[in-house]
Amino acid sequence: MKLRIAVEGLGACAGCEIAILDLHEEIVSLLQDLEIDYAPILVDKKSLNDNVDVLLLSGSVRNRHDVEEAVRLSEKAKTTIAFGSCASFGGIPGLANLYATGELLERVYLNTESTDNKERTLPSEEVPPLEPVVKPLKEWIKINYNIPGCPPQPKLIKEMFQMLLNGKPVTLSKKTVCDECDLKREEKKITRILRWGEGEPDSSRCLLEQGYFCAGPATRAGCEAKCLAALMPCRGCMGPPENVTDQGARMVSAIASLVAIDEKNRVDPEQLVTMFKDVVGSLYRFTFPSSIIPRRVSEGKSK
Amino acid sequence: MLPETFEPYIVGFLCNWCGYAGADLAGTSRIQYPPNLRAIRLMCSGRVDLTFILTALKRGADGVLVVGCHPGDCHYINGNLRTERRVALLKKMLSDLGLDDRRVRLEWISASEGERFAAVVKGFVEEIRALGPNPIEGNTNET
Repeated sequence: MKLRIAVEGLGACAGCEIAILDLHEEIVSLLQDLEIDYAPILVDKKSLNDNVDVLLLSGSVRNRHDVEEAVRLSEKAKTTIAFGSCASFGGIPGLANLYATGELLERVYLNTESTDNKERTLPSEEVPPLEPVVKPLKEWIKINYNIPGCPPQPKLIKEMFQMLLNGKPVTLSKKTVCDECDLKREEKKITRILRWGEGEPDSSRCLLEQGYFCAGPATRAGCEAKCLAALMPCRGCMGPPENVTDQGARMVSAIASLVAIDEKNRVDPEQLVTMFKDVVGSLYRFTFPSSIIPRRVSEGKSK
Repeated sequence: MLPETFEPYIVGFLCNWCGYAGADLAGTSRIQYPPNLRAIRLMCSGRVDLTFILTALKRGADGVLVVGCHPGDCHYINGNLRTERRVALLKKMLSDLGLDDRRVRLEWISASEGERFAAVVKGFVEEIRALGPNPIEGNTNET
């Protein structure tokens, strides 16, 4: 009996499904033991009617349709996996939690630089309403495992399938991206925070120690630090490491320990704050909906 | 529904060597200060992970006071300076999240400053009282 798999994307870009195809030839040998029964982007089947062994759900839960689809499909699966960072933590769409729904609709449909909407119409008919905030999938349905990554790395997907086929629990690395990164650390203190594209990075040294904002210390390993191998700072897509709830808080600790505080090069707290263009967006790029305070609040509302 | 009078619920993270000793001196000197502060002793203000402060706010604290040694006096050399930088970033983050950044305050109070400890707590309680209750929805003031 083959392991029957269903794959569905909610509010997302379909990159996670394509990442399954990035297994290339290896998918052929995997398909001897598993069967992709339903996956709108990969196989031609219109709806999932039968029960399956494993459901891979990717994408964020952005509107009512996503909620209903997640509930309906998960009832047909023995094991449900939040597949990718959006499903696991809320992902990039979760940064919309910094704005009220009305503000989002106005920006997107009325006020972007390229908008041509003279009647100022907002979508109202035959589209599912937006949920007030994006929440990780686990707050809507029972999730057995998370497979993070934007998208999950093919190696991780292969390991996941192997663990499922062997009837083992799906486990993730307990290390951080820094543990997998080959760049050299020298315990140097930093005096500035750079964004990608500013200056020329030294291709042998730790990017964070060169001042580039790299989320490696606050991010789970499992991606083999591929971005770093291409000298691209980590953006944190694998989410917080084991036993860390709040990725941003962990990253702030790493930065605070790294900035210079000696007499000569000292970075004052006020200076440090101005080095960040977008604090929440940098610290919680993929995990804002699963952070401790996962949405914007408004002061004075309850008074 | 709000209670008739709002009493701020304040969580304090005090370092063992300065802040907590300062609070102790205020106590032994019988200096009066408001009872709104729930003091938690840590070995160093450098131990204050932002997770502590965020969790306190999430669970309904109206304000969080972090007290460490004066710069240069830290028992662990520079733990207080690390926390000073963490709190600065946290305040920016809180503003972006719509919270008033005055809800979190960092103060340097030495072991000999019992009077000052009482004055700081009093001032902070009044400031939070003026700000009103923590607006994070779904929080509870239960301990």
